[in-house]
Amino acid sequence: MKFTVTLTDLGEDTEDKAEVIAWMAGLGNAVQEGDDLIELTTDKAAFTVPSPVSGVLTEQLVGEGDAVFAGQALGVVETEAG
Amino acid sequence: MTRSFPEWIRRPWGSGTAFGQTKALLGDLGVKTVCQSARCPNQGECWSCRTATFMILGTTCTRNCRFCSVRHGVPEPPAPDEPERVAEAVARLGLRHAVVTSVTRDDVEDGGAGHFRRTIEAIRARNPEATVEVLTPDFNGARESVAAVLGAGPDVFGHNVETVERLYPVVRGAGHAYRRPLDVLRLARDLGGGTVVKSAFMLGLGETDSEVERTLADLLDAGCQAVCIGQYLQPTAAQCTVHEFVSPERFRHYEATARRMGFDAVVAGPFVRSSYRSGELLETVRGVRAASGEGEED
Repeated sequence: MKFTVTLTDLGEDTEDKAEVIAWMAGLGNAVQEGDDLIELTTDKAAFTVPSPVSGVLTEQLVGEGDAVFAGQALGVVETEAG
Repeated sequence: MTRSFPEWIRRPWGSGTAFGQTKALLGDLGVKTVCQSARCPNQGECWSCRTATFMILGTTCTRNCRFCSVRHGVPEPPAPDEPERVAEAVARLGLRHAVVTSVTRDDVEDGGAGHFRRTIEAIRARNPEATVEVLTPDFNGARESVAAVLGAGPDVFGHNVETVERLYPVVRGAGHAYRRPLDVLRLARDLGGGTVVKSAFMLGLGETDSEVERTLADLLDAGCQAVCIGQYLQPTAAQCTVHEFVSPERFRHYEATARRMGFDAVVAGPFVRSSYRSGELLETVRGVRAASGEGEED
């Protein structure tokens, strides 16, 4: 089953925009739930986005230097189930 | 322009089931948090652990401090039902220690002290087992406002000194005096009975070692028993720039210094904020008091 990893909207009072620094998991890599997938930066700090599921990273939908916004799809993790 | 950060300035972005549940719960109740308004980098960790720091009296501040990204402007009147909504959020989150802060409300006669008091009372009524911590604005130094908040018996009264004396006008804005927060803390000490008095300040704004130690001494003199020290992080291009990212080793040095100077509880680190590990901090102070035979609780 394909699981699309999106950038969570942190809340109504913030403008959730970040920039991609680098992928921390490579295409085809097995990832466990909670493993860091990608590193982002905002004005305030650097952030990592953990994988919400265990599986294999099959798609990287954004690249280094891209601006990303809340709700945007970042990548796809294919889980074993289904 | 991309900002670069040292390796220790990295946090998890909010995600996952528990994070989503916290967000939905707070949204359903219309409860505001400083986690969102101040763009706190700990939001991912805290909300995933189903904890949050509530922000009452709206999300618009009557002041415009140069370190803070909370919206500045003319606020809406305080919502009369907000105390009950916050109390309900504490219950639904199952918090054992609730932390409540606010914007500054110079437009309200008591600075919002009565609203703080009602919020503490509502939390206590709905959550009799929970401890309550407030992090207040300065109320323009008004004794009656500080007394009103303390009258509801918060377990912790916090007011932040924010930075060292030399940088205070730079960080808070012209016309703000470093002595004001110390006076507020002193009032809390004098009026608070057994309430723990706490403060916090930021590093990375250009302060020196001796200035940090002077600030710690000033806080002790004002009656603080607990202190939090964290890294200033520039929220947006509109706020003060970061002078320096202070290393975790230096934070450990300041933590040890503060303990040696006599604080009962200290927490220091790059991502330490006023409410960080606040329940543990309260327990530490109570443990110290109990060991010294000073305990007033019960």
